[in-house]
Amino acid sequence: MKHMNWKTAAAVAALLLAAACSKQVERTQEVVAIAAAQLPADPSDGAWAGAPEHAAKMIPQDLVEPRLMTPTTAEVRVRAVTNGSDIAFRLEWDDPDQSDTPGPSKMSDACAVQIPEKIEKDLPDPQMGKVGKLVQVTYWRADWQASVNGRGDTIRDLYPNATVDHYPFEAKPLEKGSEAQKEMAKRYAPARALGNVRSGPRSVPVEDLIATGPGTLSRGPSLGAKGKGVHAKQGWSVVISRKLPEGLGPNQRTNAAFAVWQGGQRESGSRKMRTGWIPLLRKGQ
Amino acid sequence: MFDTNKCIACQTCTLACKTTWTSGKGQEYMLWNNVETKPYGSYPLAYDLKLLEMLDGQQWNGAKYDGKTIFESAPAGERVLGWRPEQQDYAYPNVGEDDCAGQVDTGSFLSLPHMNWFFYLARICNHCTYPACLASCSRGSIYKRQEDGIVLVDQDRCRGYQECVRGCPYKKVFFNPMTGTSEKCIACFPKMEQGIQPQCFVNCIGKIRLAGYLSKPGEARADNPLDYLVHIKKIALPLFPQFGLEPNVYYIPPIHAPVSFNRQLFGPGAGAAMKAYRNAPNDMDLAALLCLFGSTEMVVSRFQRSGETITGSDEKGSPLVRVPMREPVHVRPAVDAANQLVRINCP
Ligand code: SF4
Ligand code: SF4
Repeated sequence: MKHMNWKTAAAVAALLLAAACSKQVERTQEVVAIAAAQLPADPSDGAWAGAPEHAAKMIPQDLVEPRLMTPTTAEVRVRAVTNGSDIAFRLEWDDPDQSDTPGPSKMSDACAVQIPEKIEKDLPDPQMGKVGKLVQVTYWRADWQASVNGRGDTIRDLYPNATVDHYPFEAKPLEKGSEAQKEMAKRYAPARALGNVRSGPRSVPVEDLIATGPGTLSRGPSLGAKGKGVHAKQGWSVVISRKLPEGLGPNQRTNAAFAVWQGGQRESGSRKMRTGWIPLLRKGQ
Repeated sequence: MFDTNKCIACQTCTLACKTTWTSGKGQEYMLWNNVETKPYGSYPLAYDLKLLEMLDGQQWNGAKYDGKTIFESAPAGERVLGWRPEQQDYAYPNVGEDDCAGQVDTGSFLSLPHMNWFFYLARICNHCTYPACLASCSRGSIYKRQEDGIVLVDQDRCRGYQECVRGCPYKKVFFNPMTGTSEKCIACFPKMEQGIQPQCFVNCIGKIRLAGYLSKPGEARADNPLDYLVHIKKIALPLFPQFGLEPNVYYIPPIHAPVSFNRQLFGPGAGAAMKAYRNAPNDMDLAALLCLFGSTEMVVSRFQRSGETITGSDEKGSPLVRVPMREPVHVRPAVDAANQLVRINCP
């Protein structure tokens, strides 16, 4: 070492660093949910460091039309932690564009975790399940995240230069915040009036859904879906949590599948990248 | 049915719709009804030209279409040949307003036939027989009502994928960024259910519109106003029939626009339709029917002409409206002799 020049020293240092890093990221062939007392709610929570990572290869959704013809997101890196009653996943993928503003022709970044309702050998189809074999989907969206993070619920929050002369439901003699006023506002927002979960404003950036095949996605019973997504230079890091799959005891397995939409690539609905079923192991006592 | 010859582009229809249905948050840019000046107007921008360019070989063989529809031309992985308007494409709702087809030289004055032309094309959702919006939705959130053919987006089921916006060649579905769902013309179904014509019809200043129910071609009834105009007289034609959706808004083509342009918009029947319209002064039934447009709020299911009066009735035959084909002429002399006043016209 005494006579090592600076170049060699740098190379050795880099190797040591790489070794240290690769030691930090333990890669597994399946998604392994480690046990922890607290469920991490934030993507940067220290608890994630202890969980191994599964890098799931993604393929385009090419079963139902409209299909995604050009592959985009190559892989999603998944970690999981359980506190015995709930399970949290952290999904990370590369996407330098942050797409979280809804609008005509503008799609939102999003991701989802899919788990069969029942633990059984004969699995539902990985593409949204099938009749008689229900899948539970927990779905996160970037535009919901922006609204949870504090973006307001007016057109000015989306288009800062917008001017609007008149909304009939915000005009006199209706008192602001009165029942009559709210009732009238609903008439001009039919999706909200019907309670469509898709329409904001939102308190959580995720929703519980169920499906029995492509095109059947609908509101599911609450599995306590929560989540939080943070965008950095390279891409998204998103935590999605929900109840532990029913009957999944310690050291038992079920399956999970993942999907990612890149808004910047105009992906939404069936235009998405997805994985097949990946074994999901609940580790622990 | 819209008679393009009578439209004055006052946009009363546009506002009647806007104030009734799209005054909400996220609907600011939406015009379920719009009126564009042809040849240059379009909303959203170039909605028609873009698809006309994309759709290969729109060949007609007489009255038969030999080309491909947007369903048959769907690329791999798609259900229809479509495209997505960008946000900016909605920014010029009245682009090309009153621009005529060519240059008007200095010193020109109005002469007939017009040395240059333009006309107004009022547009709403066509409530197509084969709706591309419906075909495009992977969730089945769009449905066509069996009872009246009205095409609706289920606001509870829609998840805002905007596939319908992409698929509709007429660009008559709009994404609402505040509710996250796609919305479109609902043909004022709560009114139609009561036998009353939609808002843009009853508020039309030019009385260019007539709403009703069209029979299948083989079941046309000579006393149904729409059957008579579409199936029997063939005077009213669908917009861009080559797209293959069988749109249910029928247009009486503008008789002062070149027949070649009308053919591109309304198909090979345009020439004959223009001729038939020009002949209306000699065709009493047709002339009478044209007087029925905008004469009543109610949906007219049957008509009958007797002399110079046309009677519109409901499905059961009860009269709804009687319209004289000639209005009585009142002359107001410039000088009111009784009151010793000179009358002036107020601007
Ligand atoms: S005009 Fe467009 S939105 Fe209306 S029914 Fe036809 S395809 Fe659907
Ligand atoms: S209200 Fe009637 S005349 Fe006025 S623009 Fe609309 S369709 Fe034309």
